[in-house]
Amino acid sequence: MDSLFKNKFEQKLAHITLKLQKLLFYRIIQRTVLMIFPFVLFGGYIKIIQITVLDKDSFLTDILPKLNNDFIFTQINDIANVLYSLTLGWVAVMATFGAAKYTAKYFHRDDQLAGLTSISSLLIISYAYSKVQPMSFHGEVLGIRGLLFAILLGMLVGWIFKISSSSAPDHLTKHLSSNILERTFISLRAITIILIFSVIISFLVNITYYSDLPNNIMYSLANNYRSKNQVIQLLSTLGFSFYTIVASFFGWSGIYSPIEIEKSDPTIVENLSYALTHHTAWGSPNLFTSNTLYHPFATLGGTGSVLALIIAIFLVSKDNDFQTVARWSMIPSIFNIGSSAMSGIPVLFNIIFLIPFVLAPLACMLLAAIVLQLHLMPPSVYPVPTGTPGLLEAFIGTDGSWQALIFSIICMAVSVYIYIPFVRIAEKLKTIDNLALDEGGNIDEKN
Amino acid sequence: MKRTNRLNKRPLQKKPLKYLIILSVILIILGIPSYIWTKKNVATMAGRYNSPMSPIIMIPGSSATVDRFDSLVKTINKQYGEHHSLLKLTVHTDGKITYKGTIRPNDDRPFIVVGFINNRDGYNNIKDQSKWFNIAFDQLKERYRFSSFDAFGHSNGGLIWTYFLENYFDDSSINMDSLLTVGTPYNFEEKNSSNRTQMLNDFIKGKDKLPSDLTYYSIAGTQLYTDDGIVPIGSVDAGKYIYEGVIKHYTLITLTGSKAQHSDMITNNQFISIFHQYIIGNKLNNPNDNNNKKAPQVTR
Repeated sequence: MDSLFKNKFEQKLAHITLKLQKLLFYRIIQRTVLMIFPFVLFGGYIKIIQITVLDKDSFLTDILPKLNNDFIFTQINDIANVLYSLTLGWVAVMATFGAAKYTAKYFHRDDQLAGLTSISSLLIISYAYSKVQPMSFHGEVLGIRGLLFAILLGMLVGWIFKISSSSAPDHLTKHLSSNILERTFISLRAITIILIFSVIISFLVNITYYSDLPNNIMYSLANNYRSKNQVIQLLSTLGFSFYTIVASFFGWSGIYSPIEIEKSDPTIVENLSYALTHHTAWGSPNLFTSNTLYHPFATLGGTGSVLALIIAIFLVSKDNDFQTVARWSMIPSIFNIGSSAMSGIPVLFNIIFLIPFVLAPLACMLLAAIVLQLHLMPPSVYPVPTGTPGLLEAFIGTDGSWQALIFSIICMAVSVYIYIPFVRIAEKLKTIDNLALDEGGNIDEKN
Repeated sequence: MKRTNRLNKRPLQKKPLKYLIILSVILIILGIPSYIWTKKNVATMAGRYNSPMSPIIMIPGSSATVDRFDSLVKTINKQYGEHHSLLKLTVHTDGKITYKGTIRPNDDRPFIVVGFINNRDGYNNIKDQSKWFNIAFDQLKERYRFSSFDAFGHSNGGLIWTYFLENYFDDSSINMDSLLTVGTPYNFEEKNSSNRTQMLNDFIKGKDKLPSDLTYYSIAGTQLYTDDGIVPIGSVDAGKYIYEGVIKHYTLITLTGSKAQHSDMITNNQFISIFHQYIIGNKLNNPNDNNNKKAPQVTR
């Protein structure tokens, strides 16, 4: 196998990945991520419609014909909302089903019931005890942000099925009717334990508070300890970007969340008011903020410069699966919705892509910092409308500076270059151990 | 180890370049409207910067600290399933300010509480506190660049607001949309409004400086028809001599029943729904406002 890989580094990475792929834990995560791909993709396309056409702050509002009929507009808006909420918006619920199902199946337990129990359990945990709306959930936990938690929960549910119920009967040998009842009573203990456990958690723990806690801590750090020193500013922006990217890698968006741009950051506001009073972005006081470095140059196609990965696949990959996913995820990724590529390749939790996922954005940010320091381009300080393609963000944020546009393209090239070797490694590894292949199959039951 | 070449051996069409071209074309097509957008937007913004943030600034009454409204904010967040963040500023007697808490990114309706180390009662203290409040207000404006806000004052907090509005506030650059006060003694402990205190006289004298587009709700609590245990209803009602006819709307609400006592009122359910409807909700209920789209998305 070593002959497939050129150098020591590639061999080492391949070894680590193959070893990880042997772990049940890792396999379940990867398969679950693949399983939710169609919903993430569909949700991604809906999100494009939402941010480009329906959003009032979108840059297309000026050229699209004005829809003067509010009724039709709200109808379309509602439809888009429901489609988004019940695909990408509750993808964690689907993931928890998948994770529980695969885990239970591996242990020869009732996989369907385990999956369903896991859905119930997640919904109970994220239930909002609200007096205003009787059936409402903490939405943040059900979207892509809750993915890691949902998968872990699913595995826990599968494991509880393993220790508290006996193995599932072979359903091919018996009649369906008696079989369902039999299955029920075999798994009843596990189901009861899990549901009671979930309701206790949901009642005692304020899930939104804790799921927001790391971000809130990071945010208050970012906001309260500011320094006028440029070096410290640069380091803190790099640090927080690193945190954001790594957090996204684990399906948890960080403080610089991809689509919404924070408004209350004082340095950004300071830059903007400088630019507005002086009628130019050149010479803005804060060169190294999230708006001048992270948003325009580190999110080319979504967190982790996913569009660079897609282009890298177009350029070097001969793998049909990669090509298909890249083709389908290209459009959402243009609008900075990277989640479809992240779940389809998959990039999420995939150890091979961790390095470029972090490295490409950071390299671009460092380059941008140097170019800004040398005054080769103006910093991007103006607000950028929602749905702006990642590649154009610097161009728009600088009020149409050509230097910034050219530099964005250079950044893209650098990111693609960083991604290419990893695409090759991933492709070779697929020929050795293809995780996508045995999805939902019975293969590893024989392992 | 499994061999899965079967899947990958299909001859691959030489298409990748085609997608790169499509990609560039899409970007160019999108680039043109965005270029137009940014040129236009920057031009408008140079006129006036419209921040989406519109905080709710609260001032506690005398002898209360910035933590006075913690439970109120908690109750509101819980009861209405909203997630307002809470920022607390304490102004020291030398004008230094300590911050506690943070405003979450993308929170358009955060609560900001401004309290004072010297939080004693009395007209002179209120003058001092207004001066300190003005320092804090300038810092907040500088830091968060909001262009509108709503105000809440409990007891003497309402007096500080009034003094601030008459002596420091400049409504040409920033909008105060609505003000809500609870048990604010415009005539201190005087029951009879014909016995006007020095403060009330000063307030009436300066009333022309109040912002003319302000909407003001004043809540008075009563137990046994006369007072809320501390502040007589006549003293709260004296606010009409200051506000009536000068601002856009002046409303006096009388709260009775259990928890209508001066300090208890902010835990009163009736009060909480008034507070939510008129102060927090004033942005959400307005259908022409952009903000109404974002706020209710917290729960599904």
